[in-house]
Parts: sequence; C-alpha cells; structure tokens
Amino acid sequence: MLKIISAFLLVAMTVMVAPAFADPAAPPPPGPPGEYAQSYGDPLAPFNEKMFWFNLKLDKFVLHPVASGYAFVLPKPARESVGNFFDNVNFIPRFANNLFQLRMADAGGEVARFGINSTLGVGGLFDVADSWFGLKQHNDDFGLTLGHYGVGQGAYIVWPFLGPSTIRDTVGYATDSAMWPLPYFVPWYVSIPTGAGKAVIEAVNYRSLHLNLFEEVDRYAIDLYGAVQDGYMQRRTAQLKEVSE
Amino acid sequence: MTTINSPRATGRRSPHPPFPALRKLFRLTIAAGTTFALAVLLTTLGSLTATRADTGSVANAGVDAGNSPMAVTQNMVNHALQIMANKSLPVRERRRQLREAIENEFDFSEMSRSALGYHWRGLGPDDRSQFTQLFTAFIEDAYLSKIQDYSGQQVRFDGQTPLGQGYTQINTNIVEPGKNPITVNYLLLQKGDTWKIYDVTVDAISIIANYRNQFNRVINEKGFPQLMVDLRAKQQELASLLNG
Repeated sequence: MLKIISAFLLVAMTVMVAPAFADPAAPPPPGPPGEYAQSYGDPLAPFNEKMFWFNLKLDKFVLHPVASGYAFVLPKPARESVGNFFDNVNFIPRFANNLFQLRMADAGGEVARFGINSTLGVGGLFDVADSWFGLKQHNDDFGLTLGHYGVGQGAYIVWPFLGPSTIRDTVGYATDSAMWPLPYFVPWYVSIPTGAGKAVIEAVNYRSLHLNLFEEVDRYAIDLYGAVQDGYMQRRTAQLKEVSE
Repeated sequence: MTTINSPRATGRRSPHPPFPALRKLFRLTIAAGTTFALAVLLTTLGSLTATRADTGSVANAGVDAGNSPMAVTQNMVNHALQIMANKSLPVRERRRQLREAIENEFDFSEMSRSALGYHWRGLGPDDRSQFTQLFTAFIEDAYLSKIQDYSGQQVRFDGQTPLGQGYTQINTNIVEPGKNPITVNYLLLQKGDTWKIYDVTVDAISIIANYRNQFNRVINEKGFPQLMVDLRAKQQELASLLNG
C-alpha cells in the first residue's frame, strides 16, 4: 500500500507538467457578454503567486534552455514522434474517462487508436490512426469526469513544477496518474525513477515543440499571472462544455 | 439463448460441460470485438459527417452579403488579409490601411466597458474616456502585431452560432497544412442596422474576459492609476515593436 501511495505521489508531483500544457480543444460557443463575468475567486493567491513565479523562473533557467538545446540536436519530426509516443502510452486515462462519461464511441476510438498506432504506427511513434483512418484523439481526464457529474472547480491552485490547476483538477490528476500501470507491476525503485524520467522527457519534449509558449502570452499581458489563471479557467470550462455536449 | 438441446431445457444437468471457462472467454472476446468494431465504425462515420458539414459551411460562406454579421466579419478579415498580402506597399502604409479597415468594425467602447467589469461603474467620465482611448490603441496595436505574423494561412469561415437576441458568433479557423487549425471566433452585437465585433475568442479563450481578470487584479492590488501606467507601457512597447 505504502509503495502504491508513494509511487503515486511522486508521479503526481512530477508528471503534472502535462495538464498545464494540455492540448487546446475546439471551443464551444460562448454565451452573450453577461456570462463572461469573472465568477471565480482566488483564495490561495499568496501561495499561488509565489509558485507561479517559481515555476516561471524554473522554466526560464532550466526547462526552456534544456528544451532549446534538445530542439537544436533533435529535428522536429523526431520530437513530434516522441510526443506521439507519449500520447500513445498515456491512452488509459483518456479511454477510462471517455468510458466514465459514457462517450462510448470516443472510448472505443481510443482503444482503436492505441491498437492501430502501437502496431502500424511503430510502437506509437506515428499517429497513423489519425492520418490514415481519420480517428482523432479525444482528450479526456478525471477532472472533466468529476465536472461532468457536477463537481465544481474549487479554488484555483498553482503547484510547483506542475503549474496551474484547481482542487478538482488536482484530484482528477492524481486519479489519472494512478492509472499509470507500471507501479503495479514493478518494484518502487524501478517505477519511481522511470516515472520521473518519463515526466522530465515528456516536459522537455513538449516545451521543445512550443518554445514560444510564455513569450507569446507575455507579449500581450498586462498581468501575466492573471492572464494565465484566466486562460486556464476558461480552457477547462470550454473542455468541460465540449465533453458535456 | 437456450436451445432445445441444452441441458437446462431438457431438465437434465450435465455435470461437466466441456471447457465452460474457455467458452465464456470466447463469448466475451466476440462481444468485445463487436463493440470495438462498432466503436471504430461509429467514430469513423462521425468524423466523416463532421468533415462533410465543414465543407458545406465553407461553400455557403461566400454567398452572404450586406450588413449581416457574417458579411461584416468576412469583409473585415478578407480586407485585412488583402492589405497584408499587398507587399508592394511600404509597411507603414499597410499598417495605416489596416488600422482604418478594422477601426469601424470593432465596438471599442463596449470592449473597454466590458474589460473593466464592475470597476467601470466606479469611474468618472474622464477616467472612462481616457481608459477607452488607451485600451482602443492597445487592442489595435495588439491585433496589428498579431496579424503581422501572417504568412499566407487560410481563414476558413465555419458558419455562425446565434447567442440570443442581438448577439451572434462567427466561427472561423486559421488553417495551415500540417498544423492543427487555430479556432478564432468573432463575437458581434447588433448596432442599429449593422453589427460590430465586441470580443474575439482564440481557442475558446475570450480575449476581453482574459483582460477583465488581469485588470481586476491590477485595480484591486495597485489601483486604477497604476493600471493606466501599466497599460500605457505595454501599448508603447507594442507600438515600438510595430514601428521597429
């Protein structure tokens, strides 16, 4: 039990860079202007702001330089294949949450995609399920499942290393991380370093494909923290609306 | 599923049916396989119909004319793209034309009011007009610097979504081969006999709502005068970026 909990906690602490950079989903129609009124507070602001600036520094001095060097060494198609590979191995939470929300076609599509990409797509390096069969990836996570069944966002929270989240999405993230199968099959001294390595490579690879992520936001922001916070909240609201349609 | 020959139907009980577990497993595999195949079929069908719907709206897009929200948005976007593509004009002249082309299509006073949220009510007329002027310049410069990155991408119009009496949304996608499309939606409100843009969403994020959160934080922490200072600094940064 302790093994599972500790493995789970560490993986949760390290892999979570991904949801902060979650793929943008197609937006649902927003309502008339009144609906846009800000409806979330920020009770954890003092903590959040410290973590936000910590993460930004970490990105500036570690992640971005490392990702730039990595991008210099490895050509873009190779990095995209690395991204495809991680997308493929991370299919369990996508499949499970589509199932939890009774989106059977999308859940089946995820299984089909995993089968096709793992074989024809050479172990997930190529997303041939999309390019040959038109099977699109349907992103989903347990935070959205909770939201789908009426659980509210809870307070906005910025985690060190992992980035913006909310109470609900943190629980969702922990649940999704527990679906990573490795810790259940190998001892902790194998699964923890593997999980940490996977998280680091995933983060570096993602950043290398989006080198201008913050620069683009900062160019137009008056208050960077507020811009990122609202961006996260709006994106999650839009994703929830999309899975609830 | 019981047949006449089955043990239960005849009343006799066969003590050891051959490989019951194996048979169960086989049946399960068949069921799973069928579900799987059905799922694949459904998703493929779904994506096929989606593509067909998309092409349909693209075909319809050109027909619209006059003062409809679709026409207003299309004219503005097409006009802006035309100016950008006209490389024979000097950059400064192109920018002047662009500013002119977008000026009348956006409702800047509505945008300014909306971006300040409830703080708007607490401001005097001078502060309001100063803010509106500055925010207008800021949005224009931001839009111009954004559009400057333009390098021949296609803008696809994907129909409109009504948002209630007097409000509507025009859906567009910026498409580039080999890249994921960027969804940019224009929100318009009716002004007399024409329509004006009061917000733009990029990948489902409302720009005005995003600034509202930023402005709210700055006003609450440092006050309105500081917001004006910060906004002016950013606007001048963008302007110098445009001129440099």
